[in-house]
Amino acid sequence: MSKSEESVCDFKYLKDLVNGKSDLIANLMDVFINQVSDELQCINEAIINTDYKTITRYAHTMKSSVSIMGISKLSPVLNKMEKLGKIETDIEKIKQLNLELNDICTKAIIEIEKEKHNY
Amino acid sequence: MKTKKQINIFIVEDNKIFALALKSDIETSFADFHVKVRTFETGEDCMDKFKEVKPQIVLLDYHLNTQKLNAADGVKVLDWIKKENNETYVVMLTRDDNIDIALQSFKHGASDYIVKSDTQFRKIIFSIFNIFKIITSKSEAKRYKKIVIGICLSIAAIVGFVLAIQIFAPSVF
Repeated sequence: MSKSEESVCDFKYLKDLVNGKSDLIANLMDVFINQVSDELQCINEAIINTDYKTITRYAHTMKSSVSIMGISKLSPVLNKMEKLGKIETDIEKIKQLNLELNDICTKAIIEIEKEKHNY
Repeated sequence: MKTKKQINIFIVEDNKIFALALKSDIETSFADFHVKVRTFETGEDCMDKFKEVKPQIVLLDYHLNTQKLNAADGVKVLDWIKKENNETYVVMLTRDDNIDIALQSFKHGASDYIVKSDTQFRKIIFSIFNIFKIITSKSEAKRYKKIVIGICLSIAAIVGFVLAIQIFAPSVF
């Protein structure tokens, strides 16, 4: 990763949670990668189907998921998606936010895959 | 403060990574305590094990229907828990910073209500620690109560014995 690119994950939060235990960190990273990939797929499908209820549900739950890897950049994105999903409006804005969500999650997964080699 | 008895904690949370991370944090934070943590994705799964284990503490997510749409919500599960064992301490967890949800939770018997935020795990650990203090205090209060009752009964027995001697054998005194 070049110096000009900021990292999206904060692994210090995760390491503090498990007191630095390598096997636990690696396991949590694996679970995260699988879970977030599934959640993204569900949100992407919901947007295609303009299923606001599912968008709201998954935007809400992903806030907890991404917090484990310290991906603070996604909090405002998911908050906005959840709000718009609740009032069932502005699908185009949701699509824009979803692009940002997918972009940051992809970067996060790449960072996590690299970091996993240390454990 | 250490508890000798095993403390069973259930986490009812449909977000797998969050549940695992929370379990790890509890086990790390309370490494010196006899704590056993179990995780469940739905309230239904939790109640299947509840009767067998009778956990002292349940950490319960308010929204439990992300993965399984028909799963009971947190308040319903709270009602089930309280009906099964009113002594269980239930801490409600949610991302919604909503006073109505908080009031609803307390009305249905929750001991605490925590909003998931940046400091979520610190708040949860603090809440569990406070519950441990309450459990320990209650247990000690019960013990002291038994001691006091024992002392009172002993005194009553001695007084009764002395009275009986005074009545039936007054020449002794």
